[in-house]
This record gives sequence, C-alpha cells and structure tokens, in this order.
Amino acid sequence: MSAPSAHDVCIIGGGVTGAGIARDLSLRGLSVLLLDKGDWGAGTTGNSSWMIHGGPRYLEFDWNTTRLSTQDAGYIVSIARNLVYRVVFIIPVMPHDKNNIERMETAMEVYDRFQPLKKAHPHTRLTAAEALQVEPGLTPDLIGAVTMEEWGVDPYRLVFANVQDAIAHGARALNHTRVVGLVRDGGRVIGVRYRGSDGATSEARARVVVNAAGPWVPEVSRMAGADVHLRPAKGIHIVYPHRISNFSISAESIDGRDLLMVSHAGFTLLGTTDDDFYGDLDSVDVLDDEVDYLLQAFERVFPSIRTYRPVRTTTGVRPTLFKWRRYEDELSRRYEVIDHAKDGADGFVTIAGGKLSMYRLMAEQTSDVVCRKLGHEAPCVTATRPLPGNESDVEPAAELGRRSGITALAAMKLQTRHGSNAGAVLKDSRSGRMICRCEPITEAELAHAARHEQVRTLADAFRRVGLAAGPCAGAACVLRAAGVIGGELGWSASQRFDAAREFVREAWLGRAPVLGHSGWAQEELAIGSFRGLSS
Amino acid sequence: MARADSLAKLAFAYGVHLTRRRLTRPRSQLANLLETYASDGIRPLLSEERGRHAQLIGCINCGLCALAAGRVGKVRLPDLASSYMRLYARLGEADSDVDGDSPDLEAAAAACPVGVPLGEVAAIVRRLAGG
Repeated sequence: MSAPSAHDVCIIGGGVTGAGIARDLSLRGLSVLLLDKGDWGAGTTGNSSWMIHGGPRYLEFDWNTTRLSTQDAGYIVSIARNLVYRVVFIIPVMPHDKNNIERMETAMEVYDRFQPLKKAHPHTRLTAAEALQVEPGLTPDLIGAVTMEEWGVDPYRLVFANVQDAIAHGARALNHTRVVGLVRDGGRVIGVRYRGSDGATSEARARVVVNAAGPWVPEVSRMAGADVHLRPAKGIHIVYPHRISNFSISAESIDGRDLLMVSHAGFTLLGTTDDDFYGDLDSVDVLDDEVDYLLQAFERVFPSIRTYRPVRTTTGVRPTLFKWRRYEDELSRRYEVIDHAKDGADGFVTIAGGKLSMYRLMAEQTSDVVCRKLGHEAPCVTATRPLPGNESDVEPAAELGRRSGITALAAMKLQTRHGSNAGAVLKDSRSGRMICRCEPITEAELAHAARHEQVRTLADAFRRVGLAAGPCAGAACVLRAAGVIGGELGWSASQRFDAAREFVREAWLGRAPVLGHSGWAQEELAIGSFRGLSS
Repeated sequence: MARADSLAKLAFAYGVHLTRRRLTRPRSQLANLLETYASDGIRPLLSEERGRHAQLIGCINCGLCALAAGRVGKVRLPDLASSYMRLYARLGEADSDVDGDSPDLEAAAAACPVGVPLGEVAAIVRRLAGG
C-alpha cells in the first residue's frame, strides 16, 4: 500500500449530492477527494425521474419545502442551461378521481405562486375537448385537465458537470473505487481506506469524511460505529426510447398515487413505484407486477400505452429518512445533515434523505457544516456560478454541424451534453464518424469521454454520452463503441469483446421485464448482431 | 403543525377559487398554452399522427431501408426513423438536415421488416422541423 494522500475532506458517494458537495467545497478552496464504488450518478440519481421539480405535492404537507425546492430548482436551471428543458404536464381529471377539477386547479393556482422562482410558467385549464386537441391520445372519458410546468434534466451529465468543476478546482475524483473502511484515531475519523478498479488498496487522510452514499448511508456510517436509520424505498420506471407525446401526462394509480409519464429530450419515462425495500441494494430487480401496476394506471388515461415498445426499465432506491407508521408515498423528501461527533466519531458527517431537485442546497448546507468544523470561512457560490459548458451561449446547432461535418441534430445533441464546450469535443479528425446513430454520438465524442470523462466501461459511456440509449439498445453500436473506448484505454481484442458482453448482459436484465411482441423483433436483430456475445 | 397550516391555506385557496369561478366567465386558455411552449418545440401531434404513432416509431435500426432508398436531404433513412423520430421538441433546430430531395420512400417502406411507414415518418419529421 502506498503512502496515504492527505485532503481536507473526503466524500464517499458520487451521486448528485456527493458531487455537489465536492464542487461546493472545492470552490471554497478546500482540497477534496471524491470516491464512488461505481460510476458517477449510477445509483439513485441516475434512476430518478430525471426532473428538477418544485414539489407541488408538498403543498399538502409543508409550503416551505415547496418554496425551498422551487428556489433551488431555479438556481440549478440557471447554472446548467444545456442540461435542462421544459416538461409540460397535462393532468387529466377523470370521473371518480380523488381530486375534482376545481381542487386540482386550486392546487395549481397555489403552485403558480412558486413557479417564477424556477423560471416556469403558470398553469392553464383545459376543457376535455381542448385537452384532446393538445394530446389526441388521451381517453375521451376525461372531464377536463390542467397543465403544470417542470424542468427535465440529464442527471448523469449534471453529476458529471459537478465532478468536472470540482476537478477543475483542485479536487481528486475516483470512480469505480470502493471505500472498504474508515481510518480512526481514538474518537476521531481521520481518513478512508479504498480499493481502486485495479484491485489495489490505498489510504487517504482527511480532516473531515462526508458520507453522501445515498441508500448506502447506513452501511457507510456503520464503518464509523454510528447508526443512521433510513427507510429505503424502491422505485421503478419503464423507459420508452421515443417521446410518446410532446406533453407529459399524469395519471392516478389503482391505489390513488400520482404517477407520471415524462417526456424527456428523446425518450419517455413512465413511473414511478414507491415501495419499502429490504433487499440487497446492489441487486434490485424489476418485477412484472410493478410493470403492470404502471401500465394499468396509464391505460386508463392514455389507452394506447401498451402498443408502445419499451426499451428497458430502471430501478433505484430512495434514501428516505426513517419514519414509522406512514405509507411510503407519504414519506417526506426532507434531508438531514448529521455531525457524528456525538456518536464518538468526530470528523464524520452524514447527509441523508433529500431529492435531486434540492441537491445544490443539500450540498451547500453540508459544506457549511464541514467548513464550520474546519474553521474555514468561505461563502458558497454554487447558486450563481455556471457549471462547465454554461459559461457562454451555444452557437446555432446547424452552424456547428456544418463546421464539423455532422448533422445539425447530432450537433444539437452534443450541445445538450457539453454546452458551449461542444466545439472543443469535436476538435478531432474523427469527428464526423457516427458510432451510435440512434442517439446520435460521434466517434470523437466517445473518444473524448474515454480520455477526459473517466469512462472506463461501456455502461459508463451510456451514462456519460447516452451510448445505446436509443431504440436499438446498442444492437448497432456496442461492438464499435468497445473498439473506440478500447483503443483509448489500451484494451486487447479480448478485453473489448468482454466489455461488450458485459454491457449486453447487464442491459438484458433491465429489458427482460418489458419485452412485448414488438420488443422481440428488436431482440432478434440484437441477437443476430451480438452473435457470440450473448451466450 | 406545518401540515395543519398547509391544509388550512389550501382550504382558503379553494374557497377563493370557487368564488372566482362563480363570478367570472371562463375563457379558453388553449391558444395561450400552445403559444407559450411553441418556442420550446412542445407542439401537439395531429390526431392522425397519434393514431399511427406506435407504428411510426417502430424502427429497429436494421438499415435495410438505407440499402433500398438512401437519404432524405442529408439524413440516412434509418436515422430519420430512429433518431429524428425521438426528438420532436428539438427538430426545429435540425430543419436544414431534412431539406432536399426525398428518395423512393415506398420502396424503402417495402423493405422494412417491421412495417414502418417511411413516407409518413418523413412527413411528420418535416412538419415538426418546419415549425
């Protein structure tokens, strides 16, 4: 084992909260080490509904949470312009729904007071005929509808933009690096022991260790001898590789929960479930029942939903704070910053609970606690300082495309991931060659991701640039992508083959629960393309 | 306490809402909705497009249509049916891609193993790209 590195702060967990804390503390001038056992955003963050929302449902519980949430959403929208887009919901009101249209519109009128905080428009109310004009796929049985605006976001890029900025300000960030223990000195935690992707174990000293491990928070805090109680809740989504509708749609489930069909940039997420989870956090399966529960709810308001071909499912576990005698759906998305000095683990701080929309605020408040412990005085600047790629406006996509020899659509997609840095990504002789046509992704962008964005596996490339995220789920691109990434990382031919096989195997696990008749046509093509990989 | 306070405020807002609905004549907000989001590319599908939509986006990216017919403007046919059909809200930024000649879309559709009607696909992409 090499000599331990020394840092002011070590953060365990590279989801959006951990990455946000790393950025915040780096910008305040502290030296930071950020570690994640998988890839950036691969846990709860990436398996969310991909929304920066204000939380209208909190209006029933606590208006202050809605205010804080919308306010922070407004900051995120301003600092990450390339990663966000408007998502407009139609909320159809059906006969016998728990809320009639007047109650629903009242809630939206109240929510409208908060909408300017996140640069969103007020609601509109539609008659049944108008709602059907806006979305002809809705059931003709509806009574009327109201609309509500939220923001969609690419959470993987949001996490990585935070990591990138932290690194730019001196942080060290290691993905695929598992913390295997904490280093203690009497009643103090003074560092971490970790195992890297090469299997080697190292040690890092830190004046403060932050536990931002999401649902794994209890596991990490036990290493410090401290107990943090969560009530983990599993949520699944069905992913369709297209915009089924330009408008997002809300539906009521059989047990009265609100479900969402969210139209993102090039795909649709339908979800989510919310169930207590007691199993292995590293192996969460999607059940057929959960898929049916979602489809049943949407079939009621959008009857043709079963004719669409899902491409995969996602599943994640929310790190909800513990509360007894509450249904899962009633649990608050509150968060808590815990200083474990009182538990005999001084120098160890946990951030638990919360949600994606408030990650920046959670990071700020955790960083404030860390700075107080270190006696470091520096203000938080993350509310106004743009994330990488947002320092200036992007040029027109058609112009970038013309200059780089790619289509305007490919240039536009590149800009959504890299913002104003898109041109720099294409400064490579291979820029025009397409690797993944569905997304679309150029060879230059993929090589850039391997060289500069810590892509070490094909699944990392899925998260960083959307590799194989489209309708063919990689049938046309996985082997070529393994060639490009392998070329950058020095993989042998058999390592490239193994990487492709591993990706195909993992992708299958998320796809199997939603394969219908039309899905099998795609699957047959994939089996042909992957001949030799799927055994 | 926060819960009780929130519910009381919602109840008051509900009363105000009902009173306002009784005193004012409702006006259609549809045009306002469509205008508000037009610049974000959030526009409705037409009802005939909706009826056939699941089939329009059924491409499995096998590439046979490209062999049969070629390109629409700068765009290979499989890309039109896979990537362009994914991004309705952003097609306005890519209208220059689909400018130009159309190949024999009937021949392309005939080659499609999953029956994607490529003529209709080209029409919807051009409509949405054109704004």
